[in-house]
Amino acid sequence: MIVNTILLYVDPGSGSYLVQVIIAAILGGLFYFKTLWWRVKAFFSKSKKEEPPTNETPNE
Amino acid sequence: MNKAIPHPASFKDPAGFIFESDGNLYRQVNISYKKEYDAFISSGLYKLFTEQGSLIAHSEISENLTQTTEWYKTLKVERLPVISYAYEWSFDQLKDAALLTLSMAKKSIEKGMSLKDATPFNVQFKEGKPIFIDTLSWELYDEKQPWVAYRQFCECFLYPLYLEHYLKADFIPLLSHYINGIPGDITAKLLPWKSRWNLGVRLHVLLQQNVKKQTSNSSSRKIEFSKTKMLNLLQHLESIILSLQSGYTSTSTWSDYYDHTILGKEYLDAKEKLINKTVSPLHYNTVLDLGANDGYFSKLLAAKGKQVIAADFDSQCINNLYNVIKKEKVKNIYPLVLDLSNPSAGVGFNNTERSGFFERAKTDLVLALALVHHLAISKNIPFPKQAAFFASIAPQLIIEFVPNNDDKAKEMLKGRESTFLDYTETIFEKSFSEYYSIENKEQVPGTMRVLYYMKRK
Repeated sequence: MIVNTILLYVDPGSGSYLVQVIIAAILGGLFYFKTLWWRVKAFFSKSKKEEPPTNETPNE
Repeated sequence: MNKAIPHPASFKDPAGFIFESDGNLYRQVNISYKKEYDAFISSGLYKLFTEQGSLIAHSEISENLTQTTEWYKTLKVERLPVISYAYEWSFDQLKDAALLTLSMAKKSIEKGMSLKDATPFNVQFKEGKPIFIDTLSWELYDEKQPWVAYRQFCECFLYPLYLEHYLKADFIPLLSHYINGIPGDITAKLLPWKSRWNLGVRLHVLLQQNVKKQTSNSSSRKIEFSKTKMLNLLQHLESIILSLQSGYTSTSTWSDYYDHTILGKEYLDAKEKLINKTVSPLHYNTVLDLGANDGYFSKLLAAKGKQVIAADFDSQCINNLYNVIKKEKVKNIYPLVLDLSNPSAGVGFNNTERSGFFERAKTDLVLALALVHHLAISKNIPFPKQAAFFASIAPQLIIEFVPNNDDKAKEMLKGRESTFLDYTETIFEKSFSEYYSIENKEQVPGTMRVLYYMKRK
């Protein structure tokens, strides 16, 4: 993995990189659906004021 | 010029180290870290963080004080009045330190830098607020890389907070053993089943364990990260930390001591008057309030402009006090969790990496109110031992003697009277006179308790 190519003084921990890649993918998916859901909601409520949040994360 | 003495905890990072010279505190930046250091300064992050009080300030010195060939820059660093470690903090203190670390990590990404360290040892408390102290914790941000300090952040901040949140018990003291954070496998085993339904626990605790088992046969394909992914990750960690709640109830062993004690308000008022009278002629700037409880007397002395360390073994009391000083913006009280019968020891490599509590907490005056009976009766520490201990930590002592006919002492002595035949005022005075001259002695009005002011011989 790319881990080997950089010099680190903190041991990133085996697997920590892969974990972050997976987590980021899951969070990305959640944002996608959340944004989609907001769009659907906004479409049906016909309220143009409701914009999908861009900088918000799903609750843990 | 005195010889530069490197700090015993400052050896891990090749970017530089902390040292003392002529009684001042310095940080050397090594030439190997030149690019990162210059980038950090020119990114505006140093200016931003120091202005908002989240990073310790320094001034650059042109002299190579250590005479080492790796030298690039010398930074004169502000010395903080009190150094404390995460295992001496309460829940909200660790939580605030975690939030500070995340907010700095996020801000750094925006400016093209990345935080390469996420340990609570890089955070201290100054004027009631957490402050980041390691100026060399940044590296150039590479968008394709995930967060190098992710696992460290989880083990040092997230896991102890998760454990306290779900199990409603003190887990932060475990950090004095696990100084690099509570390992993920232990956290996963300790967390209750109900936590497994939680997305945060699934992703940041359990997933790591599963992936760890499979890394040995992982492929070498390149998976690239991105800035959005990084910010999502940091934002997610932040939202988790914000949602975590301590296990403290509205009342703990001691948190309502003053509210519900039979002695109540009259006792407090009388004691307050007596303490005001006792301290008014004294010369002191720093105080260590042992058994500080909710910090009533710490606040009293802090209001006189003194710098006070308020220590108590009840983490809930300390948490309450921390939140009060945060709300009221009290700048000179340092609330810390401390078990006097087992204070934090020197830990880490060679037992010198992180020094023991009493090596750090040097004060002019010690306040030990309603404490001796706990040490003597609950912890079985006889008066001669107590006297030697107090004499080793500060030159002046204000100490309250609680006689065995006092209600609280009677309650504690019940059925054990024969074990504590030495628990008398005479033996108390005799023991302390070995080390101190008793300058002043006065009974707290309305009680049998006696307040002493002593000076070390």
